[in-house]
Amino acid sequence: MRRHISMRRMILLAAALALGAAGCSSSSSSSSTTGTASTPASSSTGVASAGTVSTSSCGTKPGVAATGTPIPLGAIATNQPGTSFTDIPNMAKAYFDCVNANGGINGHPIKLYIATEQTNPAQIAADARQLVQTDKVVGIVGNTSIIECSIDSGYWQKLGFYIIDSGIAPECYSTPNSAAVNMGPRYSSDGAVQYALAQHVSKVVFDQANVPGTGYIAAGPAALAKAANTPIVQLTENVPITDANSVAIKEVNDAGPNGAVILNFTPPQALVILQAAQKLGLEGRVKLWGCSTPCNTDFLAQSLGSKWNSKLFVNAELTPPDGTNTPSMNLYKAILKQYGTSVQGGIGSFSQMGFTEAEIAVHALQSITGPYTVQSVNAAFKAVKDFNTGMLCQLWTYGDYPLHIPNNADYTVTANNGKMTTAQGCTPISAADPQIAQYRSAAGTAANAP
Amino acid sequence: MPPWAEFEPFIVSGLALGGVYALSGVGLVVLYRATGVLYLAFGAVGALGALIAWSLITKAGTPGWAGWLVCVAVAAAVTLGYGLLFGPALAKRDPLVKAVATIGLTLVLYGAMDLLWTTSGGQARSLTLPTDNGGFTVGTVQVTWTQVIALGAGVVLTVATAAFLRYSKLGTAMRAMANDREITATLGVPVRRVEAAAWLGCGVLAGVAGLLLADLVALDATTLTFLVISSLAAVLVARLRSIPLTFAAAIVVGLLHDLLTPIVALTNYRDMTPFVIAAIGLLVMSRHRVIAISREEA
Repeated sequence: MRRHISMRRMILLAAALALGAAGCSSSSSSSSTTGTASTPASSSTGVASAGTVSTSSCGTKPGVAATGTPIPLGAIATNQPGTSFTDIPNMAKAYFDCVNANGGINGHPIKLYIATEQTNPAQIAADARQLVQTDKVVGIVGNTSIIECSIDSGYWQKLGFYIIDSGIAPECYSTPNSAAVNMGPRYSSDGAVQYALAQHVSKVVFDQANVPGTGYIAAGPAALAKAANTPIVQLTENVPITDANSVAIKEVNDAGPNGAVILNFTPPQALVILQAAQKLGLEGRVKLWGCSTPCNTDFLAQSLGSKWNSKLFVNAELTPPDGTNTPSMNLYKAILKQYGTSVQGGIGSFSQMGFTEAEIAVHALQSITGPYTVQSVNAAFKAVKDFNTGMLCQLWTYGDYPLHIPNNADYTVTANNGKMTTAQGCTPISAADPQIAQYRSAAGTAANAP
Repeated sequence: MPPWAEFEPFIVSGLALGGVYALSGVGLVVLYRATGVLYLAFGAVGALGALIAWSLITKAGTPGWAGWLVCVAVAAAVTLGYGLLFGPALAKRDPLVKAVATIGLTLVLYGAMDLLWTTSGGQARSLTLPTDNGGFTVGTVQVTWTQVIALGAGVVLTVATAAFLRYSKLGTAMRAMANDREITATLGVPVRRVEAAAWLGCGVLAGVAGLLLADLVALDATTLTFLVISSLAAVLVARLRSIPLTFAAAIVVGLLHDLLTPIVALTNYRDMTPFVIAAIGLLVMSRHRVIAISREEA
């Protein structure tokens, strides 16, 4: 009898654990997705040589350390198992450290407070309040979080903060007081679908992680396909993917030989699907494969190998660092090398975003003549117009608009012998996406600045 | 409903996945029968082995075969180490306590893997076996040797384990311990040694399963750690006892899961397959048990 009771208890425990683990899995998937959704991705695995570029050009007084009253800025980043965006504020901090070592902002060093969160709304709201009330930050630069924009948007608006961030949630793009340096999942997916449509595919299969917000993302590719009179099949997959072979087969069957399969997943999940396709000999069974920005990583290109040469085309939101020899790119690499010890991913779009956000913030702060207050700093952020970051296809503008998509032109890169190489230069994202059309209408020439 | 031809590729992938689930399930059942421990760290130790193998192969330039052996050895060593360290102390505790203790091991391993093999910066990893590059075609369906090995390993291990438990001296001792550990010990069976053998065997299977699943599914700590759920469903259907039933349930889980993929209305619910099968299996069995008890009482 006792044994029967034990057996029943074991079975009940196992069943409960199964459900619990499913819950864990689900939460991790949602994290994956965010990563998925808007996860910016690396483009290189290490810090390449920055040549002889000096980091001193980041500041106005080379070699003179800033000793004035610090200017406190804040950032909130997701950091949880499977999804870490801390490289972005860490790279922004590296840039600020460089500025501080070279004159600061009129002699004032910048102090960046970085708060991390684990996709817990209460925690995220508390982080924002701590930054404002305890750390007394006067500006927010480098936010990169799965849901932070959704949670804190109203709070920032109420306090008059104008955030410079890397966006994931829709509110990062659709509100007056958030301006991102990246495109986010929707417009990045638009870019990948747009490239496929330009290759005259007969059908598009758009597959993404099954998490909240997929409808918002899917609306962009759907609008582009409709404008091109091309049928589109929308799929979603539970993540982490445990049956990649099935997913790959389904995508290829749905797309057909002249169609395109476009993925919007984190690099590990996209890799799982692409490798399954390769093992089953499916990589050549469609006209092309595409992917939103997260796939733009040499990790992925290396894992796939040469079988995917000129078969996989990936949207790239930022200037590809490999082979780009511009002052901004060289400064970025030099700062990463000298100050970026906490940037785990090395060269790549995560650290590029952190660099870009920091250089925009520094550019804005340098324009302030009086004290550094919430009002003066955020007014300076909002006033940034046509700033050449050296990292984007176009000049960057904040502006007083009801929505902000300041990065709305992309590159396309392709897997080539284990590296991602440029397949197409800067191309504006189609205004067939009504959100893009709305932004361009609101921002006018600023939206199209080269 | 899609035409039959659309289901054909999913039969192949489902059978391969089911084979690995069976392999995992058999390992879980054998260990439970010998020690009374439901080893919930099975997936995590396999993941640890696979990630170490990946590091050796891609970072240290170790030959593939050596990396695979290390994967199996690591999973076996961690499992055996846990069994030797905590097995005796927990031997007289309720099976529930023993199972919960393995969750502790799972969490420790999972945390360590997340720390050591971070996914920040868009890092993605993969572990491919040379058997992926070869195979054959059935109709229009490409079958890789890895898929064949996955299913074959499930079948062979099920048959071998069932024979081992029935005909070998060690297997008989394990079965005896499943009935009563104390009485078995008084009969002179070296209980600790038998338990150690069960831990070791389970660890080896965890390593093999980790290797195959890293190739067939993904080399990702989260995915591999929690993939044990599908095997757990098969084990539950077999009530932690029957090896053949574990195999059959695992194959059904893998097959049904993949066959639901092309059905548009059900495709997003296919991950529920293990839970649904486990629930149905438990309901059917408890109904039979109620009927049997009613008959006994009558």
